[in-house]
Amino acid sequence: MVEIAEIAVSAAELKLGTEPVQGAGVRLSHAGPRSRYSLRARDAKVLAEVVGRTLPGKIGDQAEGVICLGPDEWYAILAEDTVLPRGEGLPVSVTDVSSRALGLVLEGPAALAVLSSGCPLDLANMGVGRATRTVFETVEIVVWREAEDRWHVEVWRSFATWLWNAFLAAMPGAHG
Amino acid sequence: MILIHCPYCEEARPEVEFAYGGEAHIARPVDPSTYSDEQWEEFLYIRNNPRGRHHERWRHTHGCGRFFNAVRDTVTDVFETTYKAGEARK
Repeated sequence: MVEIAEIAVSAAELKLGTEPVQGAGVRLSHAGPRSRYSLRARDAKVLAEVVGRTLPGKIGDQAEGVICLGPDEWYAILAEDTVLPRGEGLPVSVTDVSSRALGLVLEGPAALAVLSSGCPLDLANMGVGRATRTVFETVEIVVWREAEDRWHVEVWRSFATWLWNAFLAAMPGAHG
Repeated sequence: MILIHCPYCEEARPEVEFAYGGEAHIARPVDPSTYSDEQWEEFLYIRNNPRGRHHERWRHTHGCGRFFNAVRDTVTDVFETTYKAGEARK
C-alpha cells in the first residue's frame, strides 16, 4: 500500500501568530494597534480642513500615514486612539474603521521576495513612502513601503490568518 | 500577465486588480417611464459582440476603485487605450 502524505490543511489548523517570526533575511510581525479611518470626499480641500491634515493629491502617495487610494478616497493609518473630527453637515465622510483591518509588517532584505510571492505589482520599483491598494493572491491588501526594507501590509481581519500563513509559507527558514 | 493602464492611477497595473464591466457607452434612459418593452430589451440586453475593436468598461476594483473605459481587441486581447469615464468615445 502506498503512503500518501497529508498536504491539505483545514481552516481550523490555521492560526494567526501573535509573536514575531524570524526567517532568513525577513521578519514577520504585527504592526500593533492603530487608529484607521476611511476618508471620502469629492473636494479634498474641505476634507483636509475637517481632519486638519495634509491629504496627498496623487493616487499612491502617502503623507504621515494618510494614503491616497483613489481620486476621492483616502485611508489613514494613525497612532492608536487618534480621533478625527467627523465634519457633520459637510459633504465629507470620515469613518472610523479601526477594527476592520490589522497591520502586518515584513522587514528585512528578503521581505520584497516574500511579498512578491503573491503580489503581482512591480514592488521593486515602488518608491519608499508610496502606498497602494492591491491583492496578495486573491486577498485584497493595502501595501505601504515604509522604508527600503520595511513593508506595512493592511489586511481585513477575516483574511489575516490566511495571509499570515501565506507569508510564513513564502518565508525562507520560517517553517516550524 | 496583462498590464492595464489605469487612467486614474496613471500606471500600468496587473490585470488581476481589475474587473470587467461590460460594453461601454450604453446610455441610460433619460425618461424610463416612457420606454416600451422593445426599448427596454434593447437597453438591457442587446450588446455588440465585435470581432476586433471593442469599447468596454473596466473597474480598478483592487486599486483606486474607479470605473473607466477601454478599447480592447477581442481577437488579440491587446488594450489599445484606456480613458476616464465620461470622456468621449475613442
